[in-house]
Amino acid sequence: MSYRDPAISLDMVNRHHQEPNRNRYESKYYWEELYELIAAAGFHAVEIPFEPVWNFGGRSGVPFTQYAIQAKYQNVDNYLAVLRGRGIERVAGVCFNPSLFMRNDSLDFYFGAAGHFAGLALEHAVSLGASYFNLSVTPAYGLVRHHHPDVEALIPGFLDRTLELVSQLAARADKAAIKLSLRNEYWSLLRGEAIERFLDRSPASVVFDVDTANLHISGVNVLDFISRNAPRIGSVHLTDTTFKDADETWKKPNPEFPTARATQVFRDIGQGSVDLSAALRALQAANYTGEITISCRQTRDPMRALLRARSWLNRQRSLTH
Amino acid sequence: MPNIRYANMCHWKTIPYKQIDNFREFYYEDRTNTAYYSDWDRILRYQKALGYEGIELAPWDLADLLPLFGSPLAFTEFAAERGVTVTGMFHGAHASHKAAAFDEVVTAGRRAVDTIVEFGGIHMNTCPTSNYFGEGPLSSEAVRQCAKAINEVGKYATDHGVKVGLHNEFFCAINRENHREFIELTDARYVHYCVDTAQISIMGEDLLSFYEDYHDRICTFHLKDTASPNVPDQVRYSQDPEIADDGHRWFWEPGEGTLDLEGLYRLLKKHQFKGWISVEYDGSPDLLASMALTRYHLDMKLRPIYD
Repeated sequence: MSYRDPAISLDMVNRHHQEPNRNRYESKYYWEELYELIAAAGFHAVEIPFEPVWNFGGRSGVPFTQYAIQAKYQNVDNYLAVLRGRGIERVAGVCFNPSLFMRNDSLDFYFGAAGHFAGLALEHAVSLGASYFNLSVTPAYGLVRHHHPDVEALIPGFLDRTLELVSQLAARADKAAIKLSLRNEYWSLLRGEAIERFLDRSPASVVFDVDTANLHISGVNVLDFISRNAPRIGSVHLTDTTFKDADETWKKPNPEFPTARATQVFRDIGQGSVDLSAALRALQAANYTGEITISCRQTRDPMRALLRARSWLNRQRSLTH
Repeated sequence: MPNIRYANMCHWKTIPYKQIDNFREFYYEDRTNTAYYSDWDRILRYQKALGYEGIELAPWDLADLLPLFGSPLAFTEFAAERGVTVTGMFHGAHASHKAAAFDEVVTAGRRAVDTIVEFGGIHMNTCPTSNYFGEGPLSSEAVRQCAKAINEVGKYATDHGVKVGLHNEFFCAINRENHREFIELTDARYVHYCVDTAQISIMGEDLLSFYEDYHDRICTFHLKDTASPNVPDQVRYSQDPEIADDGHRWFWEPGEGTLDLEGLYRLLKKHQFKGWISVEYDGSPDLLASMALTRYHLDMKLRPIYD
């Protein structure tokens, strides 16, 4: 049913960067109206980015963690009832990026915090009834290098500890019957096809997340990747881009914002140059039946992103109906 | 040199670029105002243009700001080239009322002082401890413990040329009932006070009498207005009240609330306050508009009283 009823990620709301009116995003009322507007745009499933930052500083209006849900709704059931009352029928997945814990020269700090909060995020995904829990597999190469100038020597050990973390999460995901998928941003330590070798070392239940724009930027042929890895695809993020990484931006500490030339790396769906129609066809050919989540993570206007996404989907009727 | 210099308390959240050289091209990508709020070069130019010659950083800025610039000094030099000085950084002394947390609180406080020194700042405006919810009411012993930890940080800060300024928030575990008791327990040689004009008014202090009583402890201000002074206990003691569920704003630009800021400026003149005042815009939907609105109020209403 995912082709007919894709989810939209709440990552379309810019929580972290300055723009007029961003303060609204920290209040409960904003999100409760947003759910109705998402449904009005024809989406009935959402993805929730799990962000521990909202556990601190009294910012629990952003409904992205257990703490926030308990503070504002007392429990998950109440929150899900609010979603359903506003037209959102399911939480398709929860994603988590532990990069915020790459903030000093202690790997123990990174892996300790990443492991702790990934566990909480996984539990949250299970309690929300999500079908996948999506983990960004490593922080950006350049961010690791900023805190660890010996990054190249560090990588093998870093990946071993990442594998240990993934294996522990996989065991918990298996027990809870939820898919653990690995997202591989174009800036990661496993950029491109290296993620395939990493998955070979991972427990058999761990699956790929296909993030179309990230694959495209890192130079991987999206269609070949889908075809080659069909049995192990567990979640899909439809993302778009026009970005070409000609300056090795992937090596920079904040590669989502290329320093050599400012640009919006991730465009709203249909505004970029990734052949997303072909990606959908390849997924169908691969007999993929899991969730498809639309992500407009750097949109300049979430309302515009919603309707652009709906407009693009309307043009894919042969694939989605 | 005026007696008062104005800074901007940094609520820009994350500014992703240092400097955008392809500004027109970036704008045309999606034709929105995002381009205007994406680089420190322009943010600092806005500040300079509107007469805010200082910037008070926030600790939550550092995780992005330091990789972007490479070092505190690099940011300080970048800001100075645009006419802006780093005045200091906010700090939260979370859990300082707990004896078991003493070492951790002091270590974190000293580390924050070191960071401020690296930026060339002189102020560390410090929330005394955790929020009231889940912690309050504090016992007298807990209040003493909080003062003990802050005094220890204050000694270190003083030795390094930084002034710790207590910054009480209306939802802090140090609250109306023990605010002045706490201040009296801190050592005036090492611990000063940063008056957040709105926060202490919401908490229930009378702004003018508080300044009159403690003017010799005041090292700086967070200047902002409120239309909600003296809120009841159940609001201040509730879970996460700073960001209201319905979007209610606690804080407004000077002149847009109900505080007697002109009365405050008459007292500043009486006591000849000299130093930085950080204007703060938390809760504003448009920081640039708030900066301009505040500048007008400063120039037309407040600076004619005392500059």
